Amino acid sequence: MRTRLWLELSAFVVLAAVVVLLPRFVSDFRARELAIVGMYFIALLGLSVLTGFSGQISLGNGAFMAIGGYTTAILSVDGFYGHQVRDLWTIPIAGVVAGIAGLVVGLPALRLSGLYLALITFGIAVSFPQLPKEFDHFLGGTTGKILNLAKPPFGLSTTANNWIYYLTWGIALVLLVAAWLLVRGKTGRAFKAIRDSEVAAVSSGISLGRYKTLAFGISAFYAGVAGSLYAIANAYVNPDVFPIILSVYLVVGLAVGGLDSLFGMIAGAALIYFLQNHADTVARWLNHLPALSLDPQKPGIPSVVFGIVLIAVMVLLPTGVGGLVRRLFGPLTTRLYTRS
Amino acid sequence: MRVFVVCAAVAVMAVASAGARPVATPGVSSDEIHIGSSVPLSGEAAIAGNVARGIDAYFKYVNDKGGVLGRKLTYTYLDDGYDPGRAVNNTIRLIQQEQVFAVFSSLGTNNNLAVRKLLNDAKVPQLYVSSGATTFGRDYKKYPWTIGYIPPYSEEGEIYGRYVVKNIKKAKIAVLYQNDDYGRDLLAGMKRGLGKKAKSIVASVGYDPTSSDVQPQVTQLKASKANVLMVFAFGKFSLQAFNAVSRLGWKPQIFVNDVSSAASLMAIVPQKAANGSISIVFGKDPASPQWANDKGVKLFQSILRKYGNGASSRDLKDGYFTAGMATAYTLVNTLKKAGKNLTRQSLMNAATHLTERGNPFVLPGIVIHTTPTSRFPITQVRLQRWSKGAWRTFGPLVSAKPG
Amino acid sequence: MPIAAFTWTEFAQQLAAGIREGAIYAGLALAIVIIYRSTRVINFAQGEMATFTTFIAWSLMNQGLTFWEAFPIVLAIAFTGGVVIERTLIRPVENAPVLTIVIITVGLALLLNGLMSLIWGGANQQFHGPFSTRTIDVGGVPISVQDIGIVAVSVLLVALLALFFRFTKLGLGMRAAAVNRDSSRLVGVRVSWMFALGWGIATVLGAVAGMMIAPVVFLDPNMMQTILLYAFAAAVLGGLDSPVGAVVGGILLGVTITLLGRYVGFIGSTLKLPAALLLILVLLLVRPGGLFGKVAVRRV
Repeated sequence: MRTRLWLELSAFVVLAAVVVLLPRFVSDFRARELAIVGMYFIALLGLSVLTGFSGQISLGNGAFMAIGGYTTAILSVDGFYGHQVRDLWTIPIAGVVAGIAGLVVGLPALRLSGLYLALITFGIAVSFPQLPKEFDHFLGGTTGKILNLAKPPFGLSTTANNWIYYLTWGIALVLLVAAWLLVRGKTGRAFKAIRDSEVAAVSSGISLGRYKTLAFGISAFYAGVAGSLYAIANAYVNPDVFPIILSVYLVVGLAVGGLDSLFGMIAGAALIYFLQNHADTVARWLNHLPALSLDPQKPGIPSVVFGIVLIAVMVLLPTGVGGLVRRLFGPLTTRLYTRS
Repeated sequence: MRVFVVCAAVAVMAVASAGARPVATPGVSSDEIHIGSSVPLSGEAAIAGNVARGIDAYFKYVNDKGGVLGRKLTYTYLDDGYDPGRAVNNTIRLIQQEQVFAVFSSLGTNNNLAVRKLLNDAKVPQLYVSSGATTFGRDYKKYPWTIGYIPPYSEEGEIYGRYVVKNIKKAKIAVLYQNDDYGRDLLAGMKRGLGKKAKSIVASVGYDPTSSDVQPQVTQLKASKANVLMVFAFGKFSLQAFNAVSRLGWKPQIFVNDVSSAASLMAIVPQKAANGSISIVFGKDPASPQWANDKGVKLFQSILRKYGNGASSRDLKDGYFTAGMATAYTLVNTLKKAGKNLTRQSLMNAATHLTERGNPFVLPGIVIHTTPTSRFPITQVRLQRWSKGAWRTFGPLVSAKPG
Repeated sequence: MPIAAFTWTEFAQQLAAGIREGAIYAGLALAIVIIYRSTRVINFAQGEMATFTTFIAWSLMNQGLTFWEAFPIVLAIAFTGGVVIERTLIRPVENAPVLTIVIITVGLALLLNGLMSLIWGGANQQFHGPFSTRTIDVGGVPISVQDIGIVAVSVLLVALLALFFRFTKLGLGMRAAAVNRDSSRLVGVRVSWMFALGWGIATVLGAVAGMMIAPVVFLDPNMMQTILLYAFAAAVLGGLDSPVGAVVGGILLGVTITLLGRYVGFIGSTLKLPAALLLILVLLLVRPGGLFGKVAVRRV
């Protein structure tokens, strides 16, 4: 048990060090890309709490990201009673608004389980992009809302991309610690109890209603923060910025990361970002294998690559990267009992 | 908590920051000009991405003939899958990583709207936008680095409206339109063209692009007993509309908007419904026998064959490639006009003082013309009618310059 | 904008269109339910598999075959394809968490979509269905022959499947394997092959749905994406483990969405699906297993 704690702490320190130093070694544009990976990471942390730890499948967290993104957009463009809000301060507000939406969604979710829950949350992901189109006066329709470009505050002399990177990963590290403390504490134990057996949890006195909705609220808060950052980075929101497939990709990232492995979520985030945006690079790597000839410019190749890699990763690592890490480090952290 | 995060981030950044210094004129060197686009190469609108392939072929042709005032053209086009979020990412990548001189002919109304502000803020030309949304030519005071190219949708709608007033007695008009700015732009233009006869519109129904089929909408429109149908629908929805009209046994005079009028699309709908349809056109349609012996079309095909990177025989008849070459021709002209001392400002000056005649890929007689306060390069079109499997133009050049 | 006046003729036509839409959702929803019942997996690739097989039919017809000549060939290919996919992709990971398998189907969907663009291009294609595009007079209302044909084929297919499940040994075996794997094994049912059979049948259902709808909406790689969403909704509405529910749910959903979109002003085209999903959610709160489904027993 203690060994495990030390391992996780050192992993965190390594991560923090990498985060701080990485921009020195990569291009400015790459820093921006890594920032977006960070945003996915934040959203996946929330999803891990919900699905990995409390066992409730959600295929709708893209909608919570959208709520966060739109909150930021509306506050910074239209302002609050005419007063434009600085993009930075909208982040926590966006998280809270999304979190409240999550609590609301959590209520009917109490009655549903398993794949019924998954498909209803998927229904939310499907329905949400329609709302800005219907209420286009307030939400901007398909034209969307255009924000001011992100600028480093207090006149700091750094590039906009580096600013977004540090902002995102700063928040990500803080939220990682928060999630870690949460799952190790009383709430986390309640979540795990519910995940493993609801009936047993209830008979131990855990209030299903309270904890299950709380899990939704937390995961929505995280997604909202991620969405808010995404809106700031892109300086633009419209229904296509948070499409239906985003919710699916989040679950993909969750599975690749390894459901209840918080650190694994980094791998999940990296995978969904790079497969979407750098399928051409992956295609070129795969071309080195014999008998494969994938011209990245041909239509459909990016999807083919994404699909093949995804299937391969899931077949080879059914419990995700987190599961793999646990298997590798498991012997270190379990006491071996010998019987003579 | 939040304050702590920000302070931590600031302290860390003080250690690590080293901002990039801007280059004199990015994308231009003594022997090269680097141009970039973001277009759909995958997804729903992938065929429209052929515009970029046409541009690419034309640039290679120009390079072989010595380039532009001694500089070769390098063209980078990225796939955005018609997704504005990816268009933003691509455009930022083009200006920051690829360091292009100008962003040119990016495709899609929402995509271009998404990047317009960031390009203008960065003072990068957003040239010859591949979208007919009226705002790109109209709102230059706020966005001086942006300029459109193809005839704006509001003008197109207005031309249809005027035609109906002039040529169709007792018209009762039904409109099927896509429920976003593109469809509504067309509808608004048409109402303007009808003027006092705006009451001729007996039914108008919008559809959402997430629909799977527009038959219910067409059924509703038919019930209004209209004798004219405006199809302001995109791609497959336009196809489905023709299908539905045919299946319901309805025979209105159909007007189909330019974006959905590609010959390859018109050829696969029930011809009973398609025959007699009217649309507008500004380029020479390589699929039409009308231009079979035209020098401009022959030039287009020879360029595509030689530089088109494996163009198929179907591509040689694809109007999207021609549209791309037309735009590329205008850009090359603009670059020449901007002179040897090439800066982004001199480029915009050239683009807003343009008078181009003799573009081989557009209809004869069209003058591509801009002034700093009139930023719609192409406003002249001809009406065309579909019959016997091809489009044929009729009547003189018409224009309805948008306000 | 003003809603056009109500006429009985138009209502009948909208109803017919709704039933036809619903028949397509029913076919796909049935495929989803069959796979769910046997392997407990939601197959996200169901739509793409249907489109893929439809493209194969299209290719065959381009080579000169008529629709009815290509039809049995495509069904055979679809069946084989479904079985092969189950054997190679699903079986090896059957002990993995359900979520992992679902993600594999997502990967499969992406792969198939990309392959379709690669092999046949992304442009819309015309698909010549077996039914003429004439209209016939049904009680004074012009109804499309195509719509009637699509519904007829769907009804026939569902009836055949019902007979298969009810009266054949194989069908009984599939039903047994879905309900209780271990007991079925004990009585000699080859459970693993029953699952493969389920995937084969599901793929055939998808292929038929694809070939029925392609003449109406035009064939392109993304043809089934929106329809798949409606099919999920229909499957949930009817109850994920009820084939009857899938069919009823599909038709009910098709009719409701079409009529809601047409006759309820503020819903229109944009909010059709969200409105339908909201109604389904309300229903699920009252009956958590859908119309015909059973809620799983929770074991301690």
